[in-house]
Amino acid sequence: MYRSFRTLALAFASLLLLAAPAQAADQNLADYKYVLHISDMDPSKQELILNNAANLLEAYPPGAVDIEIVAYGPGLRLMFANNVNAERLDSLSQSGVRFSACGNTLKGMTKQLGEEPRLNPVAKVVPGGIVRIGELVKQGYIYVKP
Amino acid sequence: MQANKLFKRTLLGASCALALAGTALPAQAANWLMLQGTEPEGASARANVWGFLQMNYSKDFSDANPSGQYVPPKLLGPDLDSQSGFNINRARLGVRGTGFPIDSRINYFLMAEFGNSCITHCAGDNTIAKMIDASITLNYLPGARVRAGLFKTPGAEEGLQAIHVFDYINFTEVANGLLLERFPNAKYTANLPAQTEEQLQGGGSLNGFTTPVGGFRDVGVQVFDAFDVGKDWEVAYAAMVGNGNGIEFKNSDGEYDKYLYLSAEKKYGGKGPKAEGLKFFGWGQWGSRQLDNTNDSVDNLKKYDRNRAGLGMKYMNKPFRFTAEYITADGMIFEGPDKPSFYFANAANSTGANNGADAKGNGWYVEGGWYIPNSKWELDLRYDTATFNEARNDEHQFDKWTFGVQYHFNPMTRVTVNYEMRDFKCTANTAQCTNANVNLNGVGDKIGVQLTAIF
Repeated sequence: MYRSFRTLALAFASLLLLAAPAQAADQNLADYKYVLHISDMDPSKQELILNNAANLLEAYPPGAVDIEIVAYGPGLRLMFANNVNAERLDSLSQSGVRFSACGNTLKGMTKQLGEEPRLNPVAKVVPGGIVRIGELVKQGYIYVKP
Repeated sequence: MQANKLFKRTLLGASCALALAGTALPAQAANWLMLQGTEPEGASARANVWGFLQMNYSKDFSDANPSGQYVPPKLLGPDLDSQSGFNINRARLGVRGTGFPIDSRINYFLMAEFGNSCITHCAGDNTIAKMIDASITLNYLPGARVRAGLFKTPGAEEGLQAIHVFDYINFTEVANGLLLERFPNAKYTANLPAQTEEQLQGGGSLNGFTTPVGGFRDVGVQVFDAFDVGKDWEVAYAAMVGNGNGIEFKNSDGEYDKYLYLSAEKKYGGKGPKAEGLKFFGWGQWGSRQLDNTNDSVDNLKKYDRNRAGLGMKYMNKPFRFTAEYITADGMIFEGPDKPSFYFANAANSTGANNGADAKGNGWYVEGGWYIPNSKWELDLRYDTATFNEARNDEHQFDKWTFGVQYHFNPMTRVTVNYEMRDFKCTANTAQCTNANVNLNGVGDKIGVQLTAIF
């Protein structure tokens, strides 16, 4: 009985661990939480939003700020694998910045292009960019659209 | 034939070298081929409107010949009727981008010239505007981007670079005389005699050409790309086939010009036209032109080779810049806007050794810049020399020092002041040179002030 209970407890703990990355935004202990939004066609906005993220990281002590960049519409180009800023995305990702790519936009672009655009591996596809922003704001994230 | 063989062999060698070089870089590396032929991947506009204005004041201090007459080097182009004046030599408006922004594999570049230069205002070709760039690039094949249309040909640094960031007002003599092409008129056109001030002010012309200058451009197809070969080195290549008629949409001799360009650059940083690095480059252009150089009423066009080649390097690491290039030319040596059939002398000498159409030339230049630290000032110095009609009885030597100062109001606006000291002479011990030097002896210094605004 005790063994079964222990097995069950371990399995439950493992499931929690597996689910943990997906819920990182909900459970993080950062003092400041930002969601940065890009949906513009204007290429200068791409650099601007990456600068915003870099400046936030620099402004606070390590671990004190949590940043997620959400892209949809024409702004999704920022998260294309061949984007000229790909190296900056990698670098920011290594510093803890998360990148969420809108699944709805991806579907639309796939239809237009006839093939799915290749995304930067650091980008995580979320069902809807606008939905993700709503979720994060509900969790207390500060919303910024540069 | 031999040139074609050389072209193919060089192209084959280049292809092999590049196949070993590595993977293609993302677009917009710091070289002219990529800057002009591609857009930043995933980050370009559908239509980015841009352009620039260059207006200048120039004064030429040359003296008239003993008869009170002037020749083109003593006058200001393109009109060649005065020695001082204001001009808007470039006013360019363009648009470039990726028409379907989610697909970075196709981009375009379109630009028109509205300024007063020999692109728009030559003797027989006055237009309000002229299209000088119209190209589409297909970025589908890894290592072999394809650019088609009208654009700058892969060649000398002075011609290939973006002109709005060129650090001097006037070109070197070697670039102006051997590379900035003037195309032969369809029929024999006699030399224009030197003109007095009264004749010039009364409408006398010293420009005998009927079509625009080539603008270092051609209409054709180019295959090109840049490769990261490690340790911050980048190798780039371009191979192009074009009509050989500059910015004109025609192929008057029915044959095609071939172009080849190779460069290797150690990148220090930055991006765009002022990216820092140490670049070595080599290039060649092979073509032919038809020219009626017989003073009669018969249309007897003769074909001449027009081959050009060069080797050079550019070092840019602020606060210093240094550039050097050596250029050779074989055939179709431009003799001046008043000599549209490529002769220095009159028709009586047309079959003699003073025929620029089948002569050779060469030249080189060195130039350097110092961006004065913590200031908006830049100092420039250039020496250039060119020899036209090598070993002919009208061999000419053109030497020029250019002293320059630039003040950068901001990264998009600057004023450039140039003072040129020129020494032009005909160097052979012949009657032709004695005659030519009557005019060239008086060629003096020249000053220019130019304001550039990019938007």
